[in-house]
Amino acid sequence: MLRREQRKKRYYSIGFVLPCLVLALFVLIPFLGPSYKTLDLALKIIIFASLVASFDIMLGYTGILSFGHGMFFGIGAYCVAFLNGKYGDPTYFHLFLGLLLAVAVACVLALIVSLISLRVKAIFFAMITLALAELTIVLANKLSHFTGGEDGISISLPGIFSAAFSPGSFLGLDISGRVITYYFILLACLGLFALMLRFTHSPLGRVLQAIRDNTDRAEALGYKTFYFQTLSIVLGCTVAAMTGGLYAMWVGYVNPESTLEVMAIMLNVLLMVIIGGMGTLYGGIVGAAFLLITQTFLPDLQKLAIDLFPNASLLHTILERWLLLFGILFILVVIFFPKGVVGSAREFIARARGEAFFSS
Amino acid sequence: MTETILKRWDNELVIAGIAVLLLLPLFGMPPKTYLTLTIAGLAMGMLLFLVASGVSIILGLMDVLNFAHGALFAWGAYVGFSTFKLLEKWVQADSVLLNFGAFAAAIICAMTVVAVLGMVLERVIVRRVYGNHLFQILITFGATIVLVEMIRVIWGPNDDVMSVPLTFQGNWDVFDVIIDRYRIICILIGALVFGAVQLILKKTKLGLIVRAGVENRDMVQAMGHNIFLLFTGVFAVGAGLAALGGLAMSIFSLQVYPDMGSTYLLFAFIVVIIGGLGSVTGSLVGALIVGLSYNYVAYLVPWAAAGVNIIIMIIILLIRPKGLFTAGK
Repeated sequence: MLRREQRKKRYYSIGFVLPCLVLALFVLIPFLGPSYKTLDLALKIIIFASLVASFDIMLGYTGILSFGHGMFFGIGAYCVAFLNGKYGDPTYFHLFLGLLLAVAVACVLALIVSLISLRVKAIFFAMITLALAELTIVLANKLSHFTGGEDGISISLPGIFSAAFSPGSFLGLDISGRVITYYFILLACLGLFALMLRFTHSPLGRVLQAIRDNTDRAEALGYKTFYFQTLSIVLGCTVAAMTGGLYAMWVGYVNPESTLEVMAIMLNVLLMVIIGGMGTLYGGIVGAAFLLITQTFLPDLQKLAIDLFPNASLLHTILERWLLLFGILFILVVIFFPKGVVGSAREFIARARGEAFFSS
Repeated sequence: MTETILKRWDNELVIAGIAVLLLLPLFGMPPKTYLTLTIAGLAMGMLLFLVASGVSIILGLMDVLNFAHGALFAWGAYVGFSTFKLLEKWVQADSVLLNFGAFAAAIICAMTVVAVLGMVLERVIVRRVYGNHLFQILITFGATIVLVEMIRVIWGPNDDVMSVPLTFQGNWDVFDVIIDRYRIICILIGALVFGAVQLILKKTKLGLIVRAGVENRDMVQAMGHNIFLLFTGVFAVGAGLAALGGLAMSIFSLQVYPDMGSTYLLFAFIVVIIGGLGSVTGSLVGALIVGLSYNYVAYLVPWAAAGVNIIIMIIILLIRPKGLFTAGK
């Protein structure tokens, strides 16, 4: 009993303190590095960490691969943009309504797609979402009078979120609309993340994991796997649409290239979830941080390579095609560390502890 | 009584129903336009069949949804592109023989290179994750990234214009119906490949094993056949067909670009879902449906062309969730 409690305590110590530290870091970022570049990077990490976590609910917890996650992200972004740029004035109500609309549209679409595809085979879900995502891009480009076509829509934000808003400074930091938006999005993503954590740790989440590990067995135990899978898909897609809406708030415009580009966003999300670790939720933060930081500093790395090795043209070509390196990393991680950074770390800690436990 | 008839003539009924549906557009356009569009649709369908059949057999036999198929398709196009560049004199020559020589050389090069690539892919990467659906999709997706980026490293990141052998260009005018020459060649290639694949599947022992493997993999293994060798072979053949499709498609669309695989992979998925997993006949029928309906709709209602295939796919999923044809046929 005592040992059990000790272990429980230890578990809480790492599993609880580390996320708190990360959260504290993100809260302090506007104070630590107030330049736009740092803020932008931190915010993208937050958004993508939530997006990857929502993808992880489907992939890591339910075992369903969707290639339409980028589409749901884009739908969310467009919903906010419609109500705050093209078809409405920027008011708090419209912002709220835009996010609500994003949730509603994502819910309905996810429900339809899962009803059609899950009847047959879970693998169909990947294929059908890919097809739908491609169709959405074509529609967004073609229905230009409705979606703004390739130019997209620019968004203006109401009141305290607008860039012009500046009430003064606090502890040496200029509080501007950007900073308030940053905190708003951080808070929203924190809420979404907590929701997803609660969801996966609930009895319902356990059922989902059972379905992932052995669908037949879960069915034999009396769970209607179809309903549970649908529920997980709907939740994942809804959260993705929410993060899309928040992302649109930050970047201030949406166009098919930046928010709907399925392959680009899907590529990033997949890399992040695999590197961070499937079925961990926290893996999203690690993966997003790793990938986005690397991408941001890649131009510097290229410059460094040219300065240091001016003659190694092969090295330059490969660094220019950094995606090649990420692709190789992706394959290696899938083969050798299928649990990703977070999963492997957890396993390592558990093993180290188990050994210590037995030796003492 | 009716039920048994329906069951016995199942596949024939499907084909008859499709034929009737595809005759419908005749009401909306002059017959000559219909003929031209039909030939265009058949050519497109045959090219799609080349890609989709590989995806379908690999999915049916090995249970691997091969995302890298699109990248292999692009590799085929690029290898053919390089071959045409090497044999530029043959390609530009005004001689049917030399033109076909260049075309044949390009086909052989593309298929060999990509089949070897497919074999390496299967041996090194895919084999490690057999039995795990999710990881197979993920790992072939990773392979796609690497393969496409390798194209960008080797051939450069930009689009290139594909050269077309001289005798392949131009049209024939048959009773005022304009027929593109290259489309006829595409249809012929597709029909030949379909015939060859059917012959191998139906008449040889190897084909028998493959068909048995689609129905029950474990049983084939229990009978003492080396199923892994079979997997590698099928993967290589699928890759070779994708390469042929890529080469033919790049001549059709007059260009090569590194990302070209993703668009056609999507079409291939739709074809596989329509036709049924693991069925070669299904792939052919599915590909023809997709090719024809795309061309008809693009003429009648241009803005709906992008969505029509997806709508057909959804309708078929609703009424016949396993696809038009059953596996192994």
